[in-house]
Amino acid sequence: MNDLFLTVLAGLQIGAIYAMLALGLTLIFGTLGVVNFAHGALYVIAIYAAVQVAINVDFTVALIVVPLFLFVVGVVFERGVIRFFYDRPHTDQILVTFGLAIVVEEVAKWLFGANNIPFPRPDWGDGVIIFYGPGAVIPPVPVFQEAPQLWLPFIDGFVTFDYWRIILIGVTIVAVSVLFYLLQFTRFGLIVRAGMRDSDMVQFLGINIARRFAMVVGLGAAIAGVAGLFGGPILGVTPDQGMKLLVPSFLVVVIGGMGSLAGAVLAAVIIGLSLAFTADNPDIQAVIIYLIAVVVLLFRPRGLLGRKGVFE
Amino acid sequence: MVDQPAAEPRAGAGGQPYFRCSNMQSYYGESYIVQGVGFEIDKGEIVALLGRNGAGKSSTLRTIARAHAPHLEAGEIWLEDQPLHKMAAHQAAQQGIQLVPEDRRIIPGITVEENLILAQVAPPRGWDLERVYALFPRLGERRKQEAITLSGGEQQMLAIGRALARDIKLLLLDEPYEGLAPTIVAEIARTVEKVKAEGITTIIVEQNALAALRIADSAIILDMGEVVFRGRAQEVLDNEDLREQYLAV
Repeated sequence: MNDLFLTVLAGLQIGAIYAMLALGLTLIFGTLGVVNFAHGALYVIAIYAAVQVAINVDFTVALIVVPLFLFVVGVVFERGVIRFFYDRPHTDQILVTFGLAIVVEEVAKWLFGANNIPFPRPDWGDGVIIFYGPGAVIPPVPVFQEAPQLWLPFIDGFVTFDYWRIILIGVTIVAVSVLFYLLQFTRFGLIVRAGMRDSDMVQFLGINIARRFAMVVGLGAAIAGVAGLFGGPILGVTPDQGMKLLVPSFLVVVIGGMGSLAGAVLAAVIIGLSLAFTADNPDIQAVIIYLIAVVVLLFRPRGLLGRKGVFE
Repeated sequence: MVDQPAAEPRAGAGGQPYFRCSNMQSYYGESYIVQGVGFEIDKGEIVALLGRNGAGKSSTLRTIARAHAPHLEAGEIWLEDQPLHKMAAHQAAQQGIQLVPEDRRIIPGITVEENLILAQVAPPRGWDLERVYALFPRLGERRKQEAITLSGGEQQMLAIGRALARDIKLLLLDEPYEGLAPTIVAEIARTVEKVKAEGITTIIVEQNALAALRIADSAIILDMGEVVFRGRAQEVLDNEDLREQYLAV
């Protein structure tokens, strides 16, 4: 039971980063109809911005500055590039955003080198968390005694898990919840949801949808910023991180259903768990995402929660 | 062209026509659809914009509403002293233009009430929601229902209610009777009369030309993207040859 629990946690942690990136991707696709292959580049900008602020100032400052900075980057990206490609074929959108991603990767390499930059975790996120069950005896050593502890009835004895990864899962849950709240229960969300379904009609009602679309890209970029802040210390800070994460994140979007936020989260959890449960067999792990994509698309061509008419 | 000048001067405040468009030329991609259309409308007038299929009626309405497509390449559109031809769709809407498109364009995935709330996001606001529900009680009963699940007639009511929720000056109704039962058609016609009583100017495009002419003050007939008749609605009703030639009714 302990192994199963730890594997599920590992799966959720892997899925968490994919979920945050896939949410941004699917949000941008769902509203603008743009396939944004530069989303990984936004993550790259985020990890470098985060590590620089964390090293030179403080991680707590990075917590505020990085998502805001990425929001601005997203808005500038939409106003400066994406908006000129709304009416162009998806192939053009992919080419320009993919090209931009390469430019960002090379600029990062030029500025910071190709090697990993160590990303120090803040003190409050260091160490492990202890999950313990009935009758567990936790060794009286400082590293265990000072660690956060959580009682769970199904744990045999006790197990430890990297505390930062638990924080990442928690942050993802908060980010997803905030995004859902924003889209479901606010006026901005109503406009965006309506714009996702019929942007022309929304404009006929006097609403400047272009301004909201720019904010949507900013929002997607800000979530990538959060992913970079909390993912950087785990996955490392290298220029190729964006490309590494882009393909699985894009598959998460496809499996979940293009433009479906709930689908993206569901697919991210499925993919994360699949990767965690196949961790002992690297050969299977290397292809499991693609296998899942093939099976899902065979039986549900629009993805798990995809809607008719999107990307068709 | 059978050009019949209207009996009354089409002037608004300051001597200018209330609504005026001239030499509108718009395209769907490379296709030249609206070919130099121009006309003037009085304040509070109901105008039936008629013509055979493909005459350019809906495209003319969409051009006036400053839709993304068809794209206006040349010509001017004025509502009072506002140059709509220089505006985007949302800016034209904020000046009081309201298009109720052919397929009603009820936004799926949101409720009846949310469709109405959406209409009041941008200024200027028109009727409050309770007044819309008073006009269309069925919308009030279904306010929490997903709007796309409404019947065709109810969707048309919502589309018009959504327009009234904005403070509009020129209502552009595209095929409001399409696919509706005669009782619903009569209800929509009564609503258009109420809209007129509010002082709102209306252009109505309708395949059912006779139904449109019965509520209209005047008529414009388009053929091949050009205006071929401008005169009183009654003249079209009385002129069988004209109807036969351009409307096939």
